[in-house]
Amino acid sequence: MNNVLESVKQLLEWLPAGSPLVFSGIADLPPYFKTILELYTLFVRGLFPILAFIILLSCMLLLWPDRKEDEVRGYLLLKDGSRMPLKYWENSIGRSKASDLEIAFAYVSRSHAVLTFRDKSWHLTDVGSKGGVEVNGAKVEKTESLDYGDTISFAGIEAVLVPAEKPVHNHRDLTSAPPESKVNPGMIFALILLFQVLGAVQSCIAAGAVLNLAVPVTFLVFILAECLFFFSVQRWSQRSFDLELLLCFLSGLSLFIVASAHPDLLYKQLAAIFLGVAVYTIIGIMIYDPERARKLKYVFVAAAIVLLALNLALGKTYFGAKRWIDLGFITIQPSEFVKIAFVMAGTATLDRLLTTRNMTAFILFSGACIGALVFIRDFGTVAVFFGAFIVIAFMRSGDLRTIALASAGAAIGALAVISFIPYVATRFAAWGKVWEYADTTGYQQARTMIAAASGGLLGVGAGNGYLAKIAAADTDLVFGIICEEWGFLVAITTVLVFIFLAVYAVSLAKGCRSSLYAIAACGAASMLLFQTALNVLGPVDIFPLTGITMPFVSRGGSSMISAWGLLAFIKTAADRFGSERNGE
Amino acid sequence: MDLKGTVNDVVNLVSKRAAVLLFFSLLFVVGLLAFVARYFNNASLWVQHPANKHLYENGKLLSQGTIYDRRGSILAQINDGSITFNEDQMVRTALMHTTGDIENNVGTGALVAFGDRLSGWNIIDGVYRFNKSPAPGDDLVLTLDADLCTMAYRELSPYKGAVGVYNYKTGEILCMASTPSFDPQNPPAVEAGPEKYEGIYINNFLSARYTPGSIFKLVTTAAALDSLDNVENRTYPCAGELQVGGDRVTCMASHGEVTLEQALAHSCNCAFARITLDLGAEKLQEYADLAGFNSGLEIDGIKTVAGRVDLAEAEGVDLAWAGIGQYTNTANPLNFMAFMGAIANDGVRVTPEIIRDEGLSSFIKTTQKKRILSPQTAKKLKQMMRNNTVSVYGEENFKGLELCAKSGTAQVGGGKKPHAWFAGFLDRRDFPLAFVVVIENGGSGGKIAAPVAATVLQQAVDSP
Repeated sequence: MNNVLESVKQLLEWLPAGSPLVFSGIADLPPYFKTILELYTLFVRGLFPILAFIILLSCMLLLWPDRKEDEVRGYLLLKDGSRMPLKYWENSIGRSKASDLEIAFAYVSRSHAVLTFRDKSWHLTDVGSKGGVEVNGAKVEKTESLDYGDTISFAGIEAVLVPAEKPVHNHRDLTSAPPESKVNPGMIFALILLFQVLGAVQSCIAAGAVLNLAVPVTFLVFILAECLFFFSVQRWSQRSFDLELLLCFLSGLSLFIVASAHPDLLYKQLAAIFLGVAVYTIIGIMIYDPERARKLKYVFVAAAIVLLALNLALGKTYFGAKRWIDLGFITIQPSEFVKIAFVMAGTATLDRLLTTRNMTAFILFSGACIGALVFIRDFGTVAVFFGAFIVIAFMRSGDLRTIALASAGAAIGALAVISFIPYVATRFAAWGKVWEYADTTGYQQARTMIAAASGGLLGVGAGNGYLAKIAAADTDLVFGIICEEWGFLVAITTVLVFIFLAVYAVSLAKGCRSSLYAIAACGAASMLLFQTALNVLGPVDIFPLTGITMPFVSRGGSSMISAWGLLAFIKTAADRFGSERNGE
Repeated sequence: MDLKGTVNDVVNLVSKRAAVLLFFSLLFVVGLLAFVARYFNNASLWVQHPANKHLYENGKLLSQGTIYDRRGSILAQINDGSITFNEDQMVRTALMHTTGDIENNVGTGALVAFGDRLSGWNIIDGVYRFNKSPAPGDDLVLTLDADLCTMAYRELSPYKGAVGVYNYKTGEILCMASTPSFDPQNPPAVEAGPEKYEGIYINNFLSARYTPGSIFKLVTTAAALDSLDNVENRTYPCAGELQVGGDRVTCMASHGEVTLEQALAHSCNCAFARITLDLGAEKLQEYADLAGFNSGLEIDGIKTVAGRVDLAEAEGVDLAWAGIGQYTNTANPLNFMAFMGAIANDGVRVTPEIIRDEGLSSFIKTTQKKRILSPQTAKKLKQMMRNNTVSVYGEENFKGLELCAKSGTAQVGGGKKPHAWFAGFLDRRDFPLAFVVVIENGGSGGKIAAPVAATVLQQAVDSP
């Protein structure tokens, strides 16, 4: 460890204006040297938007699924000789037109059965059909596993399960994408590193004589860790390193913001990123198997209820909200972790979805979460939860009327909150008129817009802004900080990352191994999307200000860890091959 | 057994429903676009907020910008947070509305309106400046000629009013003066002041509107030339007054039988009342809108106040008076000057400009042009306005100027003297200048406003 520090020190001597140990002050530097530093800023501020945009664009190309998903995983052979291909991991069978396999016969129920492929074999579930399901003449009570050649009877309609021409469990055929059509993740990773190295040097230059040693050290450690992460995934994991690229980029931005606002908190932020990646990995492993995920859901929900109860009992109030628990050495925001459980609670596999149609349990849990959040006055998070609730509830029920009712109820609730709680009422009073209240309730919004305007399209350079010095700017006003220091173009690109994540989650839903993952991915992505929307549009007075963090980018451990946790759902949904890959 | 198994091509249920998230993503994009639009429209204002530490230190402006006139005279200079003006008190006072005052009471003043440019801000770089040195964008060169403005102010100063002169080919405003004014270096106690300070922070040229009176007959004439058959070859009787319904329109004199050209030259109300009634409210409204009433102009981002002509309920004697420039009509001096420029420029109105762009930005910036009259109509109006000078105002009063003009004496009622107007242009290739003079409660346009115009235009031609 000492060796590392020693070499860091040596490196710093090479860095311009690197350390107060080397230069007693930037004023002592020869003038031409200052000009070189200025030239550096001039150069990189033009380069950053281009880099950011290329990074986003190439990640989009890399992640966008190939439309080669008509992979047939098996067939059902009907008596009349017709062959129905099984195209999904979960196939619904019934008379309804919405079924994947439609059997137009009066005795077949609208939703009759679900055929699921998991653990390397097919499973048949009766989802409450009237006519019943039989396998080789024996009635299926609930779920039965099948072998190829088995005869299935749906209310008397017989079909035989036969394998696909290409066996499903040959993983070489499943890694379908021809590699040449893809962007090289290594190239994108190199661009991200370039962005971060150049940005780190800029942060050091901006700090000048008052440079905190934490800045160069943090970035050095972060970049090394990133490389380790990249190469270990490339080397040992079956999954590809793609989604993580975008998150490396966003996490790097969070360090730049903390370096501007609170360099003394950099190590904490770095630790939060590491913890986030750990949580991401652990959740990824935990929910890998849909059956296990389904059971784990109850553990998550129980944990969430305990957390919320603790929050209600022990919460500390800051800025009008009681959302923190102080553990002495660290404060945490329990509501952040509840997000993960909330998404989990909303998921269901297709057979469950069709057997137990009502969502009473989920609605009750949602009500409890939102109620608790209202009680601790964390209204931004309430809005985020409600948005995610709408998305999940609609994906589960497909019922617009219920959703409309829920929204109407929420609107009434929101009105009540606005009219009865003064802290919220004042924020609404400033909405749309922040310049009139520029030094009182519109203070943060006005400062954010001043900062955004000051930055122009290219920004004044990392570390040269003033917004970062405002209290809580590095959590609630990060969009403004990015605008000011990195420019409007980088800020918009950052927001586009989140919008892309949502669109990406939707695109994943089609080929998911289980609808459980589809719901989880979309639920998680909607959490991230709503949170970003409030964080971005609140401080610029399009929405009322709610004081909420931007996932991955704002300073704060709880927020960072929960965002990574949510990301695990999207990553798992992206894994189309499940255990089949490892099975060989 | 009639059995049919179908594989539905629709993707599975849940993934179809996932589209709800696309809907929310789209909403977010809409919100984001709303912000982007606001940003591009308003960032130049946001950046000037005194809380911006990039530009202000303890409420003091940090930038180092200077405002010059077209000859390079310093009009105002920001240095170490304080503003200094031209060393000549008369020049300072004459250009106070142009530069703005220290307290930023003049909203259209350059210190406010172009504060973003003076501070070195632009949309691409924000407030960033290489090496923290003043960038060329910090300085602002105006199209105005400070000497001409000072002369106009001097001529105007006993009265309240405005003078403007601009180049109708390039759009450059050469002269802009508004009275009352004050020395921005030694501002008076305006709040405590009497009537003479009323409206002192308003640049009358850009932001005031007055009853136009007879100068509005040019609009009526344009409509008549285009819409009334045989209008140029017929005559109108004038017996000093005209009965319209139960009311009457009065004239300065009994002009007898007059042609359109004579009616304009002698400003015959009776003839114009008849012409207006022939035109009808709709036609006159159309030409008033074309002439620039009811819409303001943007002078390098400074919005002018629009003159008003609303004939929706005008009929009978009201309509007749409207065609003479009375009724509820009002005109803004700058907008009317631009209408004069359009007549001079074959019917094409060049929007006036006040910033002189140099270097790269002069290539990017384009002058805004709009055809508002046909070339034939513009040509006939020009001939008639030339005739006004020759036959009524006296060529000897405007020697060598090739002046085309129209006077106006707008009745304001309330026992006050009428507003005196004089507006027109020089029909000269080397001096394509259009102008307007308006003097509040000054009296006769031909007697009070015309001499002011003569002095200012002579100076503009003599010392270009």
